[in-house]
Amino acid sequence: MSSGQPLAGPASAPALELRNIRKSFGSNRALDDASISIDWGEVHALLGENGAGKSTIMNVASGIYAADDGQILIDGEKARIQSPLDATRYGIGMVHQHFRLVRNFTVAQNILLACEGRDVGIRTIRDASREVAAMGERVGLRADPAVPVARLSVAEQQQVEILKVLLLGARIVILDEPTAVLTEQEAESVLAFVRTLARHGHAVVLITHKLREVTGSSDRVTVMRHGKVILNAVEAPGLGADDLARAMVGEEIATVKPPTADTACERLRISGLSVPARPGESGVGLSDLDLTVFGGEVLGVAGVSGNGQQQLADCLLGLLAPASGSLQLDGVEVGHAGMHARRSLGLRGIPADRFGAGLVEELSVAENFGMTGVRDGTFGRGPRFSRRTMVRRAAAAIDRMNIMGAAPGSLTRLLSGGNAQKLLLARELDGSGSILLAHSPTRGLDVRACHAVHTLIRNAANAGMACLLISEDLEEILALSSRIVVLSRGEITASFAAGSATRTGIGRAMLGHA
Amino acid sequence: MLSVPVLLRRQSASLRLRTLCFTSGIVAGLLISAVLLMAVGVPADAIVNEFIVQVFFTERGLAQTATMATPLILVGLGASAALHLRFWNIGMEGQLWCGALAATGVAIYDIGPEPIRIVVILAAGFAGGSLWIALPVFLKLRYRVNEIIMTLLMIYVAYLLVQHMLFGAWQDPATSFPVSPPFDPFETLPELGWGHTQAGLFIALGAGALLWLLMSRSRFGYYANVVGHNADVARVAGLPVATTVILAVLLSGGLSGLAGAVIVAGDEHRLTLFLGEGYTFSAIVIAFIAGSRPIPTVIAAFAVAGVYAAGETLKVFYSISEAVVILVEGTILFCLLISRFFCTFEIRSSRRPASP
Repeated sequence: MSSGQPLAGPASAPALELRNIRKSFGSNRALDDASISIDWGEVHALLGENGAGKSTIMNVASGIYAADDGQILIDGEKARIQSPLDATRYGIGMVHQHFRLVRNFTVAQNILLACEGRDVGIRTIRDASREVAAMGERVGLRADPAVPVARLSVAEQQQVEILKVLLLGARIVILDEPTAVLTEQEAESVLAFVRTLARHGHAVVLITHKLREVTGSSDRVTVMRHGKVILNAVEAPGLGADDLARAMVGEEIATVKPPTADTACERLRISGLSVPARPGESGVGLSDLDLTVFGGEVLGVAGVSGNGQQQLADCLLGLLAPASGSLQLDGVEVGHAGMHARRSLGLRGIPADRFGAGLVEELSVAENFGMTGVRDGTFGRGPRFSRRTMVRRAAAAIDRMNIMGAAPGSLTRLLSGGNAQKLLLARELDGSGSILLAHSPTRGLDVRACHAVHTLIRNAANAGMACLLISEDLEEILALSSRIVVLSRGEITASFAAGSATRTGIGRAMLGHA
Repeated sequence: MLSVPVLLRRQSASLRLRTLCFTSGIVAGLLISAVLLMAVGVPADAIVNEFIVQVFFTERGLAQTATMATPLILVGLGASAALHLRFWNIGMEGQLWCGALAATGVAIYDIGPEPIRIVVILAAGFAGGSLWIALPVFLKLRYRVNEIIMTLLMIYVAYLLVQHMLFGAWQDPATSFPVSPPFDPFETLPELGWGHTQAGLFIALGAGALLWLLMSRSRFGYYANVVGHNADVARVAGLPVATTVILAVLLSGGLSGLAGAVIVAGDEHRLTLFLGEGYTFSAIVIAFIAGSRPIPTVIAAFAVAGVYAAGETLKVFYSISEAVVILVEGTILFCLLISRFFCTFEIRSSRRPASP
């Protein structure tokens, strides 16, 4: 590819066009008749919530997923893209959010590995080193080919990823949330580079959920929601933040009256909580977070995942020690207390990863149900405990919660997601707790199971429990919460009372535009 | 048409399938071992005779197998107790040496009244083994130091300690060999009058039964089960994760130490330089075969003892080396591990539609 001159002739045919793409994963329709069109020489922003289908449609374009239905056109001609190799051949390159680099290889070795099996004229380490230097010179990225990737910063690794797709001959460059893991300055320089690429004639797709990147760095924007295209290729500069936020999160709908807080009864108080981001992982930590949850309310924590949700949940569940700040249950400091102490103060928890931190797949339903009871002496004290009581209680819980396909003795692994979640809720909501943490409690569940889980959480709040609901699903937050706060980059960027919360407002706060 | 074999994890394995996998693993292992033995010059008919008839179905042979099984049961149980919690103790030999040292120390310095001296010896053995694994478990929990390397290397430290004592302060003045003075009769475990079997056999079987009770019936066993499967779940449920790991690992070291005490007080009646060799490998084999469950561990220990007992005979009559016996043991273990793989996964051929 040459720089400084347009890559394609007539401006009439778009560089990349996806027409009526459908794609389902099981019963989940990820893309529903989605069409999108990208021109040469433009930065095209693709905006949407988590799970809106932005990454999915670009994965279809780059050959990682095969569409169930629909057409792909490159330069106005039909293209058959069935593998990433095909996509490379058509000049499509995607930089993924999670880098695909071998950490203990050097930059040149990584480039050589990527060129394996692709006819781009790079066959030796020396070729790779030379081309990295040459391409870096041309587009203004600097990368030392002899340095191991593990020694590079996140921003530098991203530059290597970009160089990689360019060296593979990409004329259509797709960047999946390139600034999510970068600092402010690094993000600025990546965006500047993206504009340079477009000026050189490349077609650039910028997947993002940051409003600023749409209005500041893009030529046109397409907004997706629930697998559909909501705004199609609108000129970006003229758009207001409200229009985009509304397009992204949808229209307002009336909701059920949420549980009301008993403001005299402060159950959970988090103040000044800070947690560093885990080294080597993307995402941010928590910085100086303050939250208070009262009895009888559901406090919804909205936000795009990776903004500190996992750290907040892990801190509360005793899986992560806070670096500083305080964590109080009913006025008792528990920041460094074990989970048993926290549970005796009334804390109950639904972790997001139900088989990672909630239930043991290889144990029986009764053994999972009885876990907390065995610890607190419900089934007898001393070195032994009554398995018979445990099994009887488990059987009663299976009946009460209508857990399908479960017997006290059956393996928990064999339960469906919804039924496993009901089992977890049966254990955690036995009536003895006063504070509930629920992190993405309906992730991966079908509509019926979702409804059951929502009813249980609402009932818990109505019974006086203080509920902290952390979820990426805005529908869920709006349906259940008495108050809503938005978590963005490890900080609370906005807070709303149930009545005054609007999708637009929440959407703007999620986009970092409070 | 392209046919691609894919691995699918089974939802659950039926008892029939598991039995089939286990037996076919054993049979395959024995067949390959038979070929190995024939290759080193053992006639085919002698293999069946020595490996099955002589060691399990004659009184003298069975007694010898039981004698050899006694310490193997204890180290096997020790390995199982730690493995169950995913603490990779591969230093059973070090803990065994330490148990033997502590037991010998009690005998040499005449600690405790004579009528209960043997009890003190056994207790000291258990404590010695526990002590030897206390450092690795502390460093693992506190600083995440790798326990595999630590327990392994501490074998050599323990062995050097034994050498230091036997070439120095504890050397029997009556001989010029590196052995300790013999134990007094009241410091030894009584023989059962059946071959060379001794009361240690009952201690080992009792330990197996106790461990089974502990793991299947007690609160501790339940905690150990949860922590062993998923420590994060245990943590979130408020279970005492660190305490459970520490207790199980100290128990593991203690059982290996007890094995050392049983060997010095029951078989050798003195500390020597050769009584602890090879137990680490056997203990791991036994715990793996048994899936670190107590009762199968006892059975597996008998089976491995049978292999050793047969090996002893073969060494004498067909002059094969010790290495061949270990090779047989390893071959059977490998076959069992492979059979377990087929129990967990099934292989299916998936047909990919050809490009239109």
